[in-house]
Amino acid sequence: MEKITYIGEHLWLGNLGNAFVVLSLITALASTVAYFYYSKETLTSEWKKFAGWCFTMHSFAVIGIAGTLFYGLFNHFYEYAYIHQHSNNSMPMQYIMSCFWEGQEGSFLLWTFWNVVLGNILRKTIDAKWEAPTMVMFSLVQIFLASMLLGVFIGDYKLGTNPFMLLRENPELANAPFLQMPNYLAKLDGRGLNPLLMNYWMTIHPPTLFLGFASTLVPFTFAISGLWKRDFTSWQKPALTWTYFSIAILGTGILMGGAWAYEALSFNGFWAWDPVENSSLVPWLVMVGAGHVMIINKNKGGSLFMTHLLSIASFMLVLYSTFLTRSGVLGTSSVHAFTDLGMQGQLVIYVLTFIFLCVILLIHDKLLRVSYIMLSLVMLAFGVVYGYKTVVLLSWIAISFITTIYAYIKFFPKEEEEESLYSREFWMFVGSLVFLLSALVITYFTSIPVMNKLFNTEKAPIKIADYNMWMIPFTIIILILVGITQFFKYKKTDGKVFFKHIRISILLSVVFGLACVIPLYFLRDYEVAKGNEKWTLISYAILFIVGLFAVFANFEYWLRILKGKIRHAGSSIAHIGFAFILLGALISTSKRQTLSINTSNKNVESLGKSFSAQKSLLLTLGDTLPMGNYMVTYTGRERKGIDVYFNTDYFTKGKNGQLEKAFSLTPMIQDNPRMGTASNPDTKHFLSNDIYTHIAYGLLSDPKEIKNDAYKEPTNFVGHIGDTIFADNAIILIENITTNVNEEQFAKNDSLLEVTAVLKATDINGKVFYAKPKYILKENVVLPDNAEINELGLKFIFWKINPNEGSIEIQMSEKVNNSKDFIVLEAYMFPFINVLWLGCLIMVIGTVIAIIERRRLNKLTTHH
Amino acid sequence: MKKIHILGIVVIAVAIGVIIYTLGQNDSYANFSEALANQDTEYHVVGKLDKTIPVQYDPKINADECSFMVIDNKGLEKRVILHKSVPQDFQKSEQIVLIGKMQGDEFHANDILMKCPSKYNDPVKPQI
Repeated sequence: MEKITYIGEHLWLGNLGNAFVVLSLITALASTVAYFYYSKETLTSEWKKFAGWCFTMHSFAVIGIAGTLFYGLFNHFYEYAYIHQHSNNSMPMQYIMSCFWEGQEGSFLLWTFWNVVLGNILRKTIDAKWEAPTMVMFSLVQIFLASMLLGVFIGDYKLGTNPFMLLRENPELANAPFLQMPNYLAKLDGRGLNPLLMNYWMTIHPPTLFLGFASTLVPFTFAISGLWKRDFTSWQKPALTWTYFSIAILGTGILMGGAWAYEALSFNGFWAWDPVENSSLVPWLVMVGAGHVMIINKNKGGSLFMTHLLSIASFMLVLYSTFLTRSGVLGTSSVHAFTDLGMQGQLVIYVLTFIFLCVILLIHDKLLRVSYIMLSLVMLAFGVVYGYKTVVLLSWIAISFITTIYAYIKFFPKEEEEESLYSREFWMFVGSLVFLLSALVITYFTSIPVMNKLFNTEKAPIKIADYNMWMIPFTIIILILVGITQFFKYKKTDGKVFFKHIRISILLSVVFGLACVIPLYFLRDYEVAKGNEKWTLISYAILFIVGLFAVFANFEYWLRILKGKIRHAGSSIAHIGFAFILLGALISTSKRQTLSINTSNKNVESLGKSFSAQKSLLLTLGDTLPMGNYMVTYTGRERKGIDVYFNTDYFTKGKNGQLEKAFSLTPMIQDNPRMGTASNPDTKHFLSNDIYTHIAYGLLSDPKEIKNDAYKEPTNFVGHIGDTIFADNAIILIENITTNVNEEQFAKNDSLLEVTAVLKATDINGKVFYAKPKYILKENVVLPDNAEINELGLKFIFWKINPNEGSIEIQMSEKVNNSKDFIVLEAYMFPFINVLWLGCLIMVIGTVIAIIERRRLNKLTTHH
Repeated sequence: MKKIHILGIVVIAVAIGVIIYTLGQNDSYANFSEALANQDTEYHVVGKLDKTIPVQYDPKINADECSFMVIDNKGLEKRVILHKSVPQDFQKSEQIVLIGKMQGDEFHANDILMKCPSKYNDPVKPQI
């Protein structure tokens, strides 16, 4: 076959990009080796210089990859598969960034980029002692990430996926007709960004979240360096600021995700325990635990194992999440996981390598270390050659776990003295343990698809209600600890003083709490609750009271103990924010009210037993139905490009019973040629609640636009005076039947009989129309006569009288376009959801204050 | 006994509790014949929408109910009553997961999950 010479391709871009990819891998390798040698010899400037140069080159290469890809995106080089898939000619400038990280390769690149930024800050600010070991680990992670972008084949195995792959290199397109034309690029447009993602959240959420993921690497490298150098304490002080930073950024990223889901996707809430959401929450929970045990260590010493364990676990869980969400293993259990790009094996190896590394560094005995390494290698070889992957993997994990415990008992320094029950460190330790435990429970629940794969089982994913049920007890314990712990002093507290300090907060929260909880959950809900629901309500009530307690206690601590000084109040403020988030989540979710329950009288009977489960409401054009405290009317649709907006007006009853327009909402359905249709909600925000609506079902084109004046097949009705006929748009009453002659006259003169049926039609707005179809009998022949109501598009033919039954028969025809435009709406009221968003803000502010204070203190101690 | 040991025991107890809880959960993926054999047990049935038979949905009668035919992975076809409005893009779905119970010969689903071909990341298929 003749080789086609393509016109207009910019092959230099791919070559440049790939050169940067290879360079980034080589420099990451070199930097790992260089930092390793630098760490061996004490502060030799030669290795230091070389290692630093390698990492600088690596940073340059990573920025080069990103820059090259951006250049391609800006200039629409669709010969590259990634650019073709994620961008197009009409892409507005602000979304080019979003195109960059929409796909797997780009998001790996974003992660690598943040790592490079953080790595450079770290190596410039860190103590000389820790620079080498932490940067070894940093560079090692960079090797793995760089390999994810490689896209080269080693035998049959493809290592990584390359963002600079050409479109025509895709094996699926080998024989595509358009590739037979040398100038295929002339007509080619990209497929563009998924329009669902074209909003401002997509420009801010991924960078924040990936910065959060990247930030977990820093405490990890510190902790693992501590293991390696067997210096378990001196890394903790510099690492603490980074841990706070990670908590703040990752927390912000997660909450942005929640806000995005609530504002722009029809999930009916801000959190759905989706595996993808969980996989960002879990590292955060562990990082919060890590931060707290590090505070114990800083103030009192000890908790060494926990600080190492949690700092390492947080990053490991980021890796595990990456595996979960990007390997395709979640399959049907997640709505927004990435599909498999053939990287499953690679991601598993990535996770296992770091577990392996941690265990090796923990073992401080040459013989044991060598045996563990040998055993692992033998098992790996066995697995590769003979299979039995599940058994091998599980036994390896078991061996690693046992080795870890043995190594902890044997080689790890432990505290001699037991902590007092009346000490701050004890309760902070308990709190961190609860955070770790809740993170593990969520991870276990989320991993059900992985276990199905390992054990060949068919377990269904855990339901939202089960997640809630398990997490509420953890949350209650955490909130109590958040309230009481600050009132304990390190080492030992006088019990009497403690209770004296805390009693006001306890009293206030119980009194206020009961005053809120009784009307919220017990006056009505508890009566109708059945079985487990009663326990759920009780758990909500406890959660509410302890949430208030956490707020009051921290506020009191700030005012009374800290004397209101803002500088020291970082933790108190962050704790108040945290409690607010949980309170807001509790109230808005547990008291969420479905407004769109069916209220039109016409349908109630046919609903039967499923009526209670009703959550969507049919609104016909022009119809006004009560919904919660509002009257809602659907006023029509509007199409803007691919977005179809549905206008709904909300009215409230005014003083004199008049309806007054309160606000309008325009939920939208996106008629997306690439992604199919997607429903976007619209929400009215009030201070105390949100009215949230989305279209559950709606036609994308107006039936009115189908111009059709024809009548449908007529239907026949048999009835008497006083009977009713139902049309699509009106109710028709047979009000009267009159004749032109009485029976006597008719008997005398049988030439003409006219019987008139008086039909009273009432439309949905209560407007009345009359139609008077006639039954005309002339010389014993029925003359057809029809009567129309043009306004309603109805036609009646009165064609038969049954003298024996005393009934008449009427044919009714309805116009085709009488079937009016309608929407099926779901509407919810989320009470006090603003408490949640306020809490987010307060928590981030608190954490930032803590970071500033930490940095100030660190500077003070280094100067003295 | 040290306090740390008590904490250890609590942690182990929670771990065992979670594992027993998930093992005790009856929810599992199944096909129609299994659901048929155990009426009133909740299952997740994976299957495909039969696109040759129209979906029945009349919001004027009940906006929260629709009905359609589904072929499960074993090839068995059953009528499904979904107690929800018709999902967006139903006709384009490749695979669906129904969560519900068999009642008589009909499967009553409370919830549905769909995998659509191109929802997030899909292989490149250029159109010119």
